[in-house]
Amino acid sequence: MTKSESAAEVLIEARQVEKRYPNGTLALKGVSLAINRGEVVCIIGPSGSGKSTLLRTLNALESISSGEILMDGISVHAAKTDLNELRTHAGMVFQQFNLFPHMTALENIMLAPVEVLKLPVAQARTRAEKLLAKVGLADKAGNRPSQLSGGQQQRVAIARALAMQPRVMLFDEPTSALDPEKVGEVLDVMKDLAAEGMTMVVVTHEMGFARAVADRVLFMDRGELVYQDAPEAFFTGATNERLRAFLGQVAAH
Amino acid sequence: MKPASPLWRLLTVALVLAIGAGMYWATLKVNYQWRWERVPEYLLVTGGEEVPAPFDGTVAVNGKQIRITPLLGGEPQAIPDIDVVQVSDGEIVFAGNTVGKKAGITPGPLLIGLWVTLKISALSLVFALVLGLIAGLGRVAHNPAARDLAAIYVELIRGTPLLVQMFIVYFFLGTVLNLSGFVAGVTSLAVFTGAYVAEIVRAGIEAVPKGQMEAARSLGMSHWQGMRKVVLPQALKRSLPPLAGQGINLIKDSSLVSIMALTDLTKAGREVVSSTFSPFEVWFTVALMYLLLTGALSVYVRKLEKKMAHD
Repeated sequence: MTKSESAAEVLIEARQVEKRYPNGTLALKGVSLAINRGEVVCIIGPSGSGKSTLLRTLNALESISSGEILMDGISVHAAKTDLNELRTHAGMVFQQFNLFPHMTALENIMLAPVEVLKLPVAQARTRAEKLLAKVGLADKAGNRPSQLSGGQQQRVAIARALAMQPRVMLFDEPTSALDPEKVGEVLDVMKDLAAEGMTMVVVTHEMGFARAVADRVLFMDRGELVYQDAPEAFFTGATNERLRAFLGQVAAH
Repeated sequence: MKPASPLWRLLTVALVLAIGAGMYWATLKVNYQWRWERVPEYLLVTGGEEVPAPFDGTVAVNGKQIRITPLLGGEPQAIPDIDVVQVSDGEIVFAGNTVGKKAGITPGPLLIGLWVTLKISALSLVFALVLGLIAGLGRVAHNPAARDLAAIYVELIRGTPLLVQMFIVYFFLGTVLNLSGFVAGVTSLAVFTGAYVAEIVRAGIEAVPKGQMEAARSLGMSHWQGMRKVVLPQALKRSLPPLAGQGINLIKDSSLVSIMALTDLTKAGREVVSSTFSPFEVWFTVALMYLLLTGALSVYVRKLEKKMAHD
């Protein structure tokens, strides 16, 4: 058994995941995938393809209709699973940042470590200050989200998720709500994270980032996981017709 | 935008003055005797506080010293601090009879009524906020029982008149549970206002973007932690202006407690009118006193809002 095949290496596994909305629409059609520890996986696809929905089922922000998702061997959607505990291991970054507007950048980062991990305030503060420095915003500790640019807000949001010292980071279109000139600073932080060996699942439209940073790229369309491959092969050699059509559309812009 | 001409301000003043003059002219038609000079004595009593005799007895007066020898026997007792003697030497008084007055200014019936109104309003507001917060959280709860109970409460209270609720609380609950008029008044006002506060709280919570709770939950916080630390602080800040309006309504609605044998500002006004036969002056004064209370609340909330906007 080679190292890459050993079960201990798999951090997240989805088996035949289906998601049906109450109105009958099928958002996910039997998606199966495995994400290894330390791997950076990018998910691309047209809007409405279910890529964000899939990401949100990984930490149970979204329920599933059938199938199973395992994180570190624990069934995410099982009734007896302690979701609050499980979510501390999966950091999430949202398209709209979702920073808490009534708190400073530092307080945003400190809140969950103090409330959930019961970390002493002084310790949480030290951790938060280190993380702010890491995302290049040490001087913005006392600023409210409304006083920060979109790119700065998203970097604080990444620091907030990292403060829980998660095993995996889930990114839901982290740069889609940003002005074009702010995209780079957020992607740089994500590249650093990837270089440190963080396991990352990134739903994105940034093909350049996927190509440069991802270990594997997934293509979703109409609720199905259509195709997956290493970035080079994915972007140049793929013969899948739906993927070619999608990449053609993206390239046309 | 071009600054508005000051002429509009002048027009406002002119119209208000015209309305005032019209009302004055109307009172001339009904031959009303204005006696504003009689109002102050119902706000502050300068004549002094009356001192009653503590028991039945015979009075001995020496200058401003009053001593009463009990009719039932015993040592004579001195009555201290009398400034105006109102009995004569050798007179027999009975317990409760006025023997003299203490000098000084004491609050008149209208001020005492204002104090009762203030006490009832403040207490009711505190209970209404607590009740409204609980019911408002119930309205947005996942638990169907909590949601339904909160909805029933809000609909029942909003669908019936406050006066009828007060009759029910005072005459039914008051009799069954032996409540005083004060407790019944505070209860009915708090329960009534709480229903409106609940709707304000619910609207405030629903106005906070869904992503806020999602972010809190994704960090491992429980629903309640997310509510307490993330959603409620934002919701309450948004709710402050409508809550201020509800507080002002509460102060005004408190005038209805005068049906419960409670001498609040309105009841005091009615009593003063019946002894002075000056209804116009008294009711204008009472209205102004309510306006002082509501105005103070609205200034306070505006300050609070400014402070929260800075934080």
